[in-house]
Amino acid sequence: MPAETTGFWAPVALSADLPPATVIPARTTAGSIALWRSQSGRVAASADRCPHRGMRLSHGFVRGEALSCIYHGWSYAQAGNCLRIPAHPGLSPPETIRVATQKVEEADGLLWVAVGDPAHQPPALAGLVPLRSLTAEADIGAIERAAGATLDARGVLETVENSQAVRLLLVELQPHRTLVHVLVDDGATPAERIMASRAAESLRRRAESLQGGIA
Amino acid sequence: MAENAMLNQWYPVGLFSHLAKGVYKTALMGEKIAVSADANGDAVVTTCAGRILPVLVRFGHVWSSLGEPTKDLFSIPEADQPGRRFVEVGVVRVRCSPLRAVENFLDIAHFPFVHTDILGAEPHTEVQNYKVEIRDVEDEVWATQVKFYQPQAAKSASGGITTEYMYRVPSPTCSVLYKTCPPRPTEWDVITLFVQPLAEDLCDVWPWMALFDDETSMTDLIHFQQTIFLQDRSILENQIPHLLPLDPGMEIPTRADMTSVAYRRWLKRHNFTYGAQLVAQ
Repeated sequence: MPAETTGFWAPVALSADLPPATVIPARTTAGSIALWRSQSGRVAASADRCPHRGMRLSHGFVRGEALSCIYHGWSYAQAGNCLRIPAHPGLSPPETIRVATQKVEEADGLLWVAVGDPAHQPPALAGLVPLRSLTAEADIGAIERAAGATLDARGVLETVENSQAVRLLLVELQPHRTLVHVLVDDGATPAERIMASRAAESLRRRAESLQGGIA
Repeated sequence: MAENAMLNQWYPVGLFSHLAKGVYKTALMGEKIAVSADANGDAVVTTCAGRILPVLVRFGHVWSSLGEPTKDLFSIPEADQPGRRFVEVGVVRVRCSPLRAVENFLDIAHFPFVHTDILGAEPHTEVQNYKVEIRDVEDEVWATQVKFYQPQAAKSASGGITTEYMYRVPSPTCSVLYKTCPPRPTEWDVITLFVQPLAEDLCDVWPWMALFDDETSMTDLIHFQQTIFLQDRSILENQIPHLLPLDPGMEIPTRADMTSVAYRRWLKRHNFTYGAQLVAQ
């Protein structure tokens, strides 16, 4: 895992999976988050829990530049402060009502969430673009053993699977569960993309059975 | 033990009208039980170890208890008025605390967002002040003068109306709602939520109604309530924590939540903590 003493960047989702005015659930080793993009395109990450009645904010909705809880419509700004309580339209919510937020960076088609306080920017993936994401019921060690390769400093695993070069960006979600982003060359053809996708699935199956065999 | 206070309460364990179908196997507060009818057609509730539990039949449901109830089950005098139709809505299983299920039933501020275009709609989101009290004689939580604009308050309502509500919590997992009755403005429709605690984080919800409505078919009345409760389930199964936090600090109430605040206070006062979380985590 690309952990540093002060924190690290976790690639939690692909930019393409978060269109404007939507919210999705995401996860880092630090817990669940609500990852959302405003109407104007700004990305934000907050704790996945409305402080009012504990509802998951990832079930909520985005209007304009605010994320709203689906339960009572309480809405929050990117900075986490509560903007509006619909039951009391005349009330300005006090500053104390807020959700915890985490820094998000968008680069090379990936959304990176800060876990802790990372010293640097997310790593660059020069020339590579993400194709799709999948979840493996295996830890990073099992995936490395299945691939016969180890992660580089960016969290990328490079290997050959079924005669196909595969590049996977890995990040731990929780014990024995890893989020896998399949990366391809920027100019990859549709046929190459399909082959990379299938190769990643094949590697996942072997890593999962390896994990199962150990457990 | 704190759970004893709730152990001695009455809980719904099934529909009386369904006993003719045979033995109904279910659970109460973690213990497996069987509900059946004896040769005389009377309801019998036993644990799987063979212990015979207290039983009574009221409001269409069979009620039982793992402990020794010291009080009779609450009454609903309005349900005895002639001309009402009784609606057995059936059961909705929800993976949440039984107390969270009741608290959601007491809440009106979620109507525009969860029951959109049925029980509420934007921009009519404001919750006006209402009255809440814990009535000492009856030992019940009451909320009165609750008003809310509703696009379709009941199956019998055509078009939007401002509906008036009264809420009553006569036992830790049951609530009775009195609601403006569109065909008879001088009477109240009675809608109840009877919650069977299967475990601290799992419950069967048995809604039951006593309505003045001679027009709507029974199927439509049942479908209307099931639609509402399935919408509620999507919320209840996604609240964190699953247990109801009784200590302040974990959640932030506002004026609109006065009923919930009183309900939590009343639960805590009586040590009704099965399904509750006592220390903020």
